[in-house]
Amino acid sequence: MTPEQFLEQLRTQFGAALTEAEAKGSVLLLTTTADQGYAVCKALHDLGFEYLNCLSGVDWTTHLEVVYDLSSLHHAAKVHLRVKVDRADPLVRSVSDLWKAANWHERECYDMFGVRFDGHPDHRRILLSEDWVGFPLRKDYTDERLVPYTDYGLEEKQAKTEAGKGAPKPTSAAPKPPAPPKPPAPTG
Amino acid sequence: MDAVSRAVESFYGLTTAWGIPWLIPALVIMTIVVSIILGYISVAAMFLIWWERKISAHIQVRFGPMRVGGWHGWAQSIADGLKLLLKEDIIPSRADKVVFVLAPVVVFAAALAGYVTIPFGPGLIVRDLNIGILYMVAISSLTVVGIVMAGWSSNNKYATLGALRSAAQAVSYEVPLVLSLLGPVILAGTMSMGRLVDAQGGTWLGFLPRWYVFPQIVGFLVYFTCALAECNRLPFDIPEAESELVAGFHVEYSGMRFAIFFLAEYANMFAVAAIATTMFLGGWQGPLTTQLPLIGVLWFLLKCYFLIFVMMWLRWTLNRLRVDQLMDFAWKVLLPIAFANLVITSLVVAL
Amino acid sequence: MSMTTPIPIGTQVITERLGETMEEMYVNMGPQHPSTHGVLRLMLKLDGEVITDCIPYIGYLHRCHEKIGENRNYVQIIPYTDRLDYLASMAMNFGYVLSVERLMNQEVPPRAEYMRVILAELQRIASHLLWLGTFGLDLGNFTIFIYCFREREMVLDLFEAVSGQRLNYAFYRIGGMAMDFPDGWIEQCREFLTWFKPRIPEYDALVTDNILFQKRIRGIGVMDGPTAVNYGLSGPMLRASGINWDLRRNDPYSVYDRFEFNVPVFDTCDVWGRFLVRRQEMIESVKIIEQALEGLPSGDIQAKVPKTIKPAAGQAYVRTESPRGELGFYLVSDGTPKPYRYKVRSPAFCNLSALTEMMRGCLVADAVAILGSVDIVLGEIDR
Repeated sequence: MTPEQFLEQLRTQFGAALTEAEAKGSVLLLTTTADQGYAVCKALHDLGFEYLNCLSGVDWTTHLEVVYDLSSLHHAAKVHLRVKVDRADPLVRSVSDLWKAANWHERECYDMFGVRFDGHPDHRRILLSEDWVGFPLRKDYTDERLVPYTDYGLEEKQAKTEAGKGAPKPTSAAPKPPAPPKPPAPTG
Repeated sequence: MDAVSRAVESFYGLTTAWGIPWLIPALVIMTIVVSIILGYISVAAMFLIWWERKISAHIQVRFGPMRVGGWHGWAQSIADGLKLLLKEDIIPSRADKVVFVLAPVVVFAAALAGYVTIPFGPGLIVRDLNIGILYMVAISSLTVVGIVMAGWSSNNKYATLGALRSAAQAVSYEVPLVLSLLGPVILAGTMSMGRLVDAQGGTWLGFLPRWYVFPQIVGFLVYFTCALAECNRLPFDIPEAESELVAGFHVEYSGMRFAIFFLAEYANMFAVAAIATTMFLGGWQGPLTTQLPLIGVLWFLLKCYFLIFVMMWLRWTLNRLRVDQLMDFAWKVLLPIAFANLVITSLVVAL
Repeated sequence: MSMTTPIPIGTQVITERLGETMEEMYVNMGPQHPSTHGVLRLMLKLDGEVITDCIPYIGYLHRCHEKIGENRNYVQIIPYTDRLDYLASMAMNFGYVLSVERLMNQEVPPRAEYMRVILAELQRIASHLLWLGTFGLDLGNFTIFIYCFREREMVLDLFEAVSGQRLNYAFYRIGGMAMDFPDGWIEQCREFLTWFKPRIPEYDALVTDNILFQKRIRGIGVMDGPTAVNYGLSGPMLRASGINWDLRRNDPYSVYDRFEFNVPVFDTCDVWGRFLVRRQEMIESVKIIEQALEGLPSGDIQAKVPKTIKPAAGQAYVRTESPRGELGFYLVSDGTPKPYRYKVRSPAFCNLSALTEMMRGCLVADAVAILGSVDIVLGEIDR
């Protein structure tokens, strides 16, 4: 089956529940709501996507997303399914009965984003200690030990040189390919 | 060796003449003998440790100890021993202290007592018991008591598991071990270690030494396998399997107590090699022993160290067995072979 | 919508799962234990020597890799990826730069692609050698460890000559490579390959053909094909379960489609199968490196990339075949120089999740062998 055929089948099955559905190359990009997430996953599982590559969360500050990356060992199509979850009370149904691989991934997602998975067989924190407060990968989580980002004035410098030269040349931004270094004496 | 016994007799004669009770010279002689044996065991064990490190290194394409003492790191074991002596002796707070302290003593005493009946050379035997080999086997199985004591008293699950494994292993391997030793006993008609060696003097057909390893090759192989297990050497080192049980029964021991376990292991290795040499390889028998009795000691040690070398070689080549495989091997393979060997030997002797 | 099952507190779960009876004993294996390969902690429930349950605890090496990644720009992350799987840093670099390049649709010069493949395959050999050595240690075979390290040392020498580092290289760049091979490196690499090829029979003589070794690892840690797929196992673990799946061939990235190589598959589904797969993979990697050295094109090693890398808003999940299995990087960009979300799908994390299933009913000695066969690196599991 081609990605388009998969897409058609899913559209007829779920209709408006799939808020976004398109095929980009061999990847199906799907978006759905929290209450339809499990049903879509089950449908995909039955369509032959038997391999759960990755399950991760994304914090969009307005809402959370649980992202499922699925693939199959039999056809080339891949699925990138995003389930939108309420940020205040994040709750989705666990897919660990479809893919056992989801077990630890969901625990990690709970650990990092606080998304709760209904029906998970072993719902605990996994990477952090059990008494940890907060969910570190949420965008509003702060910790004084975290070193903030700096680009060491790179962007400023770049802007200055571009302003000095007048019209920005597209090639000036590209670094020169490094000259081949003097070879060290062969070892061993 | 007559000189030794003559000296002992004259010492006894002297003390009786002076009116000193018989007990005191006996005690003096015992102390001297035990000191000699203890000294020998310590030096031999330290040598074996160094030797094992060198052998393993050369098997593994590396050098091993090279610095301490100058020549090929010969003083490495002495340095290690000193370090272990000086280390803090830690007893876990929740350990059973009395048993914990006693365990290494029991293990080492069992290893030491075995040396009483080893004939190092013509006449060079502490006490040639008429049941020498039985005594040897009985004493060496005392080791396991010490190991179980160590494992139990440490109050550590790994140590307990190791001790239980050790007990199971010792019980299983003791049976084929004794059965395989019965072959030479039947052939020689004696259990005395000294007379067993005497029975292996001379040659068959003019060129083959009368060593029991030739008629009893099966028994020898069974014995050697069981001996490896008795010493907890690889591939039978499951009581102290370091990748599973960390160090097994001696996981909580440190400093000198650990060193005693270590010494006992090597003392045991020498003891089982000595039994094998006495029972199967003709003991101190060899060329020129009649002319120069002391050369017998050399033959004896050469044979022993060859066997120990084979044990080390096996250790650094094979991997560890699993508990169930170990038991299977003892009860389903070694025991029937040992029995068959015993029956065939008895039949041949009877005919 | 509400939870049908409440989230239990950790200690509750443990008391529930560990309800002690007189026949059973709990042994805590790790986080400091010689054969947990790092700081993994296993709670083993033993009935005598038989394992009835096993609960892995991870996270002792957690350093918030993903949070750090969100606070660094795309180039600054490269050295961090080294620390994920410190035994296969080249493969980690490879996966990461590929995913950034996919995000910004960046082309890479062919010479750089070939260099990437050569280094990644050398890394695979080094990683499998270390695995073979430590696996030998787990089973009590000490000698193979030193033999494997001898050859691994040569690979590290090659890496040192090319990047100046022995363990964490940070050698891949977005859009190319940091430097070209130094003079004489290719000959040195060829020399290593000719030295390495006859070493495999040497290992065979020591371990593969050793009946004791085979007896120890046959028929334990059984994981059949469908279950393996369901657990999301990847790499040698999956191929030992009879699933013919290798991303280098099934979902080719970089220039892997230009090389001839076999994908070793064994259907014994046990530790022995995993051993054979890894052993065979080293031979296949040698083949790939030979072909890549043969066809190494000349030219640039670095494409023109902007000074500050700001991919357009979007996301990419890119998977590569690391020595341990499917390594995925999921990147979400919001158009700024830092990734909005940076997620690592580490192969050993997923492989380890099947440990409990494989361990039930095994002996303590098998636990060590099974754990060894998973080939874990805690750096990437705990992230």
